[in-house]
Amino acid sequence: MMPRAASGAAGPAGAAGGAPPALPISALLAGALSLLVGAVYLALDPAVLTGYLGSPRVLATTHLLTIGFVTLVYLGTLQQLPAVLLVTDLAWPRMGLLSLPLFVVGCVLLVSGFAVGVAPRLLASGGILLTVALGLAFSQLLATAATRPPRDPGGRGLITAVAYLFLTVFFGLLLAGARASPQLATITGYPASLHQLFGLAGAFLLGIAASGQKLLTMFALSKGGKTWRLTALTYAIHVAMIAALARAVLPLSGGGDGFDQPLKWLALAGLASAAALQLWEVMAILRRRLRKRLEAPVLRYVASHAFLPLSGVLLLFGLPEAATASFLLGFVGLAVSGMLVKILSFLTWTSVYARRGRREQPPLLRDLVVPWLEPLITWGLALGALATSAAIAMSSEPAAVIAAGALVIGAAAQLAQVVVIVQRTLFGVRRAAPAVAPVSAGVAKGSKA
Amino acid sequence: MTSMLENDNWSTTTEFKENDPKVPAVAVLEQLSRVIDPELGIDIVNLGMVYVVAVDGADVAIEMTLTTPGCPLHASIEEQVRTRVGELDGIGDISVDLVWDPPWTPMAMTEEAKRSLGF
Repeated sequence: MMPRAASGAAGPAGAAGGAPPALPISALLAGALSLLVGAVYLALDPAVLTGYLGSPRVLATTHLLTIGFVTLVYLGTLQQLPAVLLVTDLAWPRMGLLSLPLFVVGCVLLVSGFAVGVAPRLLASGGILLTVALGLAFSQLLATAATRPPRDPGGRGLITAVAYLFLTVFFGLLLAGARASPQLATITGYPASLHQLFGLAGAFLLGIAASGQKLLTMFALSKGGKTWRLTALTYAIHVAMIAALARAVLPLSGGGDGFDQPLKWLALAGLASAAALQLWEVMAILRRRLRKRLEAPVLRYVASHAFLPLSGVLLLFGLPEAATASFLLGFVGLAVSGMLVKILSFLTWTSVYARRGRREQPPLLRDLVVPWLEPLITWGLALGALATSAAIAMSSEPAAVIAAGALVIGAAAQLAQVVVIVQRTLFGVRRAAPAVAPVSAGVAKGSKA
Repeated sequence: MTSMLENDNWSTTTEFKENDPKVPAVAVLEQLSRVIDPELGIDIVNLGMVYVVAVDGADVAIEMTLTTPGCPLHASIEEQVRTRVGELDGIGDISVDLVWDPPWTPMAMTEEAKRSLGF
């Protein structure tokens, strides 16, 4: 079959580009550092997991995890991921020079605002900066998509997830405003559940599902999943978000008394359907894979999905806080951690070896990773997630101590891994032999027809 | 002249086009087999990514693909291709055309490459 030149793809022959590599690399490193800071902060007083979960320390830790780690890694990958998912060049590739520092400063202010005992000015200024930074990132993604509208549910899901992320921070800002101003609260209510739901399901679950479908397919050399499942998952999340929004808004307009429970169950059904579809999709991709031996970070991504049913079970048993911990630390934390290592390897390698005139044989991506750190990351974070859920569910201080210790180990191993990846790429590493001998001997034996 | 290269190890073929070549297309292919996909650890020839090697006098034109459109490694692999082919004596212009049709599939790999990935 004769090859034909690409059509419709961006850049020369369909090659697509992202931002300057230093931008996403910095964001990913800062994200890994945030997770460790959060874990150490929790370890200073692990008993907080057995007390009131709205305490400043718990809120500071939670936001270090959700914003400092997950969202910052997400924003970092958004500097490169659109090129892969949308197959087009990133619009305004230097926008990250503005949005990422704004986001980091906003994160520091917000977390500090919680850590010092809920300081309204710090929270407000942090929230505003985060909203502006995410607004810029969302605009950049929309401008990128405008040059090549996404034709698959993965690309559309990525854009939708970032929209939900923006709304999550916006609801957080409203929540802070409502707590500071009773007048505002009479208008907006206290959108805490919207803040959590839009973040956990709208941004994180949909973001992982949308980007993971393409990335897992690539890394597992799979024939892929089914586009209808990701489309259905996206609609299921929309249903859950709309139901939750209606449940929050109807009482403010003085109505909706009889709708509260139906809307609650509709939201839960949407979430359960989305989680089930994601599990089905991942299993289908794995079943159709040709690469049987998956790398450790990819296995971590896959393993994260075990926390989806666990979160559902905890929710069924009336333990929503433990379910949230399982979902956030277990599913989101492990999935993001797995992709963090893979994506960082790609980014750093590309930043060095795309330069002209390098004659030495570049290392393989797996040469950049320290193998023995991988189980520490996976088991540390997984045990940390399980023990955190147990500590919350059973008010168990020993479980809280185990949780904090395991999270510190996992987060420290992850930070060490990402630092080593950057260090080995920049300063060189002994290159392993290729998995297959080059074909030169075969070529010599070949015959021309 | 258009010719196809095959051997016992290959499940795929790279199309050769030669017009008064200063360097044999097979030598170009040998150089390309030194370009390793850093994710899979296998060279791009064994991966079945090289569709066409055309040599017109001293000029070389390569049509190849990558595992997926938008692959972040495209610039570095393309640069590696230029560097390796440029190491041959007597080479003129080198053009590298990334194409996505037909799309790459794992079935394009040689049997040895498939085995190394646990197929």
